[in-house]
Amino acid sequence: MIDRVTAVIEHDFRVFFKYKFTLAGLISMNLADLLIMAVVYTRMTSFNYFRFLAPGVTATGLFAAAFVIGREVNMETRRGYNQYLLSLPLRRAELVLGRMVAGGLRGLMYATPLLVLAMIILKFPTATEAALILFAMYLLSMAISGLAISLAVALRSFERFTTARSLLYLLLIFCSTVFYPLSVLQQILPSSLILFAKLNPLSTVSDLIRGYLMGTPPVTTQSWVELLSFSGVFILSGAALYAAGIEHSVR
Amino acid sequence: MQQKSILLMRWFYAIVQIGIFGLAISRIVTAMQNYYHYYAMGVIVMTMYSVAIFTGYEIYDEADDGFTEYLLSIPLTRRELVLGRSLAGGLRSLLFMAPIIAGFMILIGIADPLRVATALVGLYGFAFGVSGLSITLAVGLKSGDRFDIIMGALDALIVRLSSALYPQAFMPGPIAAFSEFNPLTYASDLFRWSLNFNSQLLANPVIAVIALVVFLSVFNLSGVIIYERSLEGGTWR
Repeated sequence: MIDRVTAVIEHDFRVFFKYKFTLAGLISMNLADLLIMAVVYTRMTSFNYFRFLAPGVTATGLFAAAFVIGREVNMETRRGYNQYLLSLPLRRAELVLGRMVAGGLRGLMYATPLLVLAMIILKFPTATEAALILFAMYLLSMAISGLAISLAVALRSFERFTTARSLLYLLLIFCSTVFYPLSVLQQILPSSLILFAKLNPLSTVSDLIRGYLMGTPPVTTQSWVELLSFSGVFILSGAALYAAGIEHSVR
Repeated sequence: MQQKSILLMRWFYAIVQIGIFGLAISRIVTAMQNYYHYYAMGVIVMTMYSVAIFTGYEIYDEADDGFTEYLLSIPLTRRELVLGRSLAGGLRSLLFMAPIIAGFMILIGIADPLRVATALVGLYGFAFGVSGLSITLAVGLKSGDRFDIIMGALDALIVRLSSALYPQAFMPGPIAAFSEFNPLTYASDLFRWSLNFNSQLLANPVIAVIALVVFLSVFNLSGVIIYERSLEGGTWR
């Protein structure tokens, strides 16, 4: 079983590197946010915005890279590639598991250099803290992959998929603590959106990284519970939807 | 239809940027007064840039659909074709952003027709130049992938290395130096100046007008030259 799951992961990694232009665009966007925008805002704010944003950029990069698998699954669904995937000597569970694990690993691989940059800017954590950060990032990455795959099979049209992706992107990135502290959002957003921003996994992961690398906000058990709950829901629903959707797509 | 949804997303993106990011970031910016208005004006110009860039993507769609040969066969000079497309690209961007611009002007109480006209002419000139830049790059590169990555990287850098988001006064030396050569700096500052924003934080409006005229002339002229050289004989690829 491990060999077959590994083969699916290897396939997805090969495909990931075909999107070199998308990846180059993502990298330039993330680095420009940190090395240009945050540097200037640091001169305009009362705190060190550059240090504040470094963990946020890591979470944003992770989110964007993990979402790429949705685009692939959507394309496969529309172009009949699912027939080929279903004809492979793999159990359905192995295919689904391989894709979910690959989606998570790809996001993690993309975001790790950004995390290292954040560590250089802030501080190097202990081995345990580093492992916990990577685990949190992997959970988020896999959950986002699950969310992307769910959307990709549910919305077969590419146009609907890209529109939904953009809406989610805007909502999850801007209603989160990636770019500003929660206390600022509490001054401008209605209570429903503040609750959304608090539960938003991008806020949770950004603040977890900040907690481990900056000491503030402090890492709490509640943060981990929120992350595990979100990840659990989206990993399982993504896997179930993909397993059902891939069969439905070839009927 | 796909472009329509992309354009609508740009609109939504501008509204979210002004309505959430702008409000939030203006709460943490302490170095200047009225940063929210400064930021919102920058987002309007940035969005016009993003919409005007679509002219280049259309050239690739036309090539894929075999429409380029038809365009070359109609009784128009190449110069008329490029200039017509650039002018249309600029006008589309302006019309697309008109509701947001009008809403914003009403919100901040700008009713002086001369100021409104100056702002719109400045924005149109900028969008006209961006369409020319987009055509020049699309025809010059002849590869959708290369165009996509260059536009992606340009988008990330042009916006951040300009005064669209923050005044030049707060930029460190190298970033300020890049922003001096960036047309988005002059378009944003001219727009703000037209809307009566504190001119101490803006580029000189006369220099801004000259920079925009040079920008739109250079890229539309080079668009004409490259279009003529690259497309004759139907040798798109």
